[in-house]
Amino acid sequence: MSSRLRLLIACLATSVVLAPLIWMWSNSLMPDDYSVMDMGYADYGGGAAATAAGGHAGLHAGGMDITEIVADADRPADVKVHLVAEQGEFTLASGRTVSGYTLNGQSPGPEIRAVQGQLVEVTLENRSVPDGITLHWHGVDVPNAMDGVAGVTQDAVPKGGSYTYRFVAEQAGTYWYHSHQVSHEQVKGGLLGALVVMPEEQDPGLVDALALVHVYDGRHTVNGRERELAVPAPPGATVRVRAINTDNGVMSVWTSGAPYRLVAVDGNDVHDPGQVEDKAVLLTAGARADLEVVMPADGSGVRVEMGGTAVALGEPTPPTSKPERLLDLLDYGSPAPIGFDPADATRSFDYVIGRRPGFVDGRPGLWWTINGHLFPDVPMFTVTEGDIVRMHIENNSGDEHPMHLHGHHVVVLARDGVRATGSPWWTDSLNVADGGAYDVAFLADNPGVWMDHCHNLPHAAEGLVAHLMYTGFRTPFTIGGTADNTPE
Amino acid sequence: MRTAYRVLAYLIALEVVIQASMIAFAVAGLGIWVDEGGVFDSAAIESLEEGDLSFTGAVGMMIHGMNGMMIIPALALIFFIFSFFAKVPGGVKWAAFVLLAVVIQVGLGIFGHENAFFGLLHGVNALILLGLAMTAGARVGRARSVASTHAASSEPELV
Repeated sequence: MSSRLRLLIACLATSVVLAPLIWMWSNSLMPDDYSVMDMGYADYGGGAAATAAGGHAGLHAGGMDITEIVADADRPADVKVHLVAEQGEFTLASGRTVSGYTLNGQSPGPEIRAVQGQLVEVTLENRSVPDGITLHWHGVDVPNAMDGVAGVTQDAVPKGGSYTYRFVAEQAGTYWYHSHQVSHEQVKGGLLGALVVMPEEQDPGLVDALALVHVYDGRHTVNGRERELAVPAPPGATVRVRAINTDNGVMSVWTSGAPYRLVAVDGNDVHDPGQVEDKAVLLTAGARADLEVVMPADGSGVRVEMGGTAVALGEPTPPTSKPERLLDLLDYGSPAPIGFDPADATRSFDYVIGRRPGFVDGRPGLWWTINGHLFPDVPMFTVTEGDIVRMHIENNSGDEHPMHLHGHHVVVLARDGVRATGSPWWTDSLNVADGGAYDVAFLADNPGVWMDHCHNLPHAAEGLVAHLMYTGFRTPFTIGGTADNTPE
Repeated sequence: MRTAYRVLAYLIALEVVIQASMIAFAVAGLGIWVDEGGVFDSAAIESLEEGDLSFTGAVGMMIHGMNGMMIIPALALIFFIFSFFAKVPGGVKWAAFVLLAVVIQVGLGIFGHENAFFGLLHGVNALILLGLAMTAGARVGRARSVASTHAASSEPELV
């Protein structure tokens, strides 16, 4: 073979190897500034398309600006909070100094407490966070403009700027708030806190113990304390422990010294919760669980384990190892009306998570897919206000995913084809195990543009993000842009 | 070009050695960290993957991941492309074997997160990859000695 011919063949072979790679790479590059409404393709879930606007491209040609979807502007606030965010070193309640983010000089940020029905007004001020910040009210079905997602419902609050969030705390329960700007960094670094909405009528004898769990610098903490949090509780008292998992992994919660009842999941009361012994509750990333225990009459203590930390109620007791079995919410409690019939669903979506090699924004890697597509070519789940929506969430990606839909609570209909028979299992942070599948339903009753993403926040940053979009609404905000909006 | 072929082959072999030492470094450090009171659970695994656990050896996990997911696949791809030009007897074939072993290795590494037995094979395939890369590198020396004995008929090397 002549050397010229050989060289030609070598060059051809090189282009055969490289050309598809370069093509895929250049195709994956994202513009500096884009609207999430232009992402991917519209998925109408078998329901009516956005006919008035003429399809996906026309979704935002008209419609109401989501910044107009706010709480009653004339109503005075019942709970007013001013939060100042700073970046830097700070000392945890445990005494350890870590670097990250604080709100009013502390992390976790101040606990916000409201009574059901009150209007909460939080002014967020960014004193020194260079990337900008927002606050998202995790699990609270706020008006869309208050959802706190940079580039979707607002611009990130720049250094020196501020933003006021106003919403009515409609539902009693345990929630939390966190930044949704560069969230995989800022949440990890401590830009978060607890939000507790108390019922209007509360048993005055009940001991209420908040337990916000977060890993700072590799150390597990509960309310900023390492190892355990001591909570005084007299014999015979009923204690409600509000566990919040703010990390990216799953957390197991169990008790020793007394059984428990799981009285609420993700801010929703469980109907008829039975007593549980020798079983752990699995809390996925972002999820909350309210456990109620009755302190033993003999004065001994109860320990509520939370993975690497614990809440010690009353007298200190030694740690115990995790029970082998998990509490299955599929058949826990007893059925109750959910307010709509999923059989009448007007939209039915698939949210199938996979993984494959490719490029996302020019970066090669093994990336998450949604319905077979890589970010940003993902479905835009499109609904109309009033729709009954079913969603089939399936995970074939080799990793588990805590799926979080903003602005709505979904009710679990079935897991791996097995129907739910217990209390209505309302959730906003659902752990979808590898190889597992859930069928869920919800009512499209909170218009706007909502994220529907994995709350293992690095996964979201890797593209495991889709959106739920109501026809007739549009967002003026963009990802990137002058505010440098980076919600994940 | 032959030199480049040989250097890349041995570099990939060296990377396998680095990978093995880094993961052992990380696992050893992790054990010590847990003994000292660190809690290793799902949240900690996520922190570790993000490079947020600060124990001696934690860097090994980061390097193993970055090397394995980015640098070695890139090296194997470049090696494969160079093999078209290097005129090493059987060079393209051996470079293709190396690339294939790297693809399998990455896959086994990833799927080890869902089935531990893939991790078992990940260890075996690492040594196969090492052997393939060493064999490919050694072929350049053989090619040279063959070329020098037939100096008259050898074509000029393309660079």
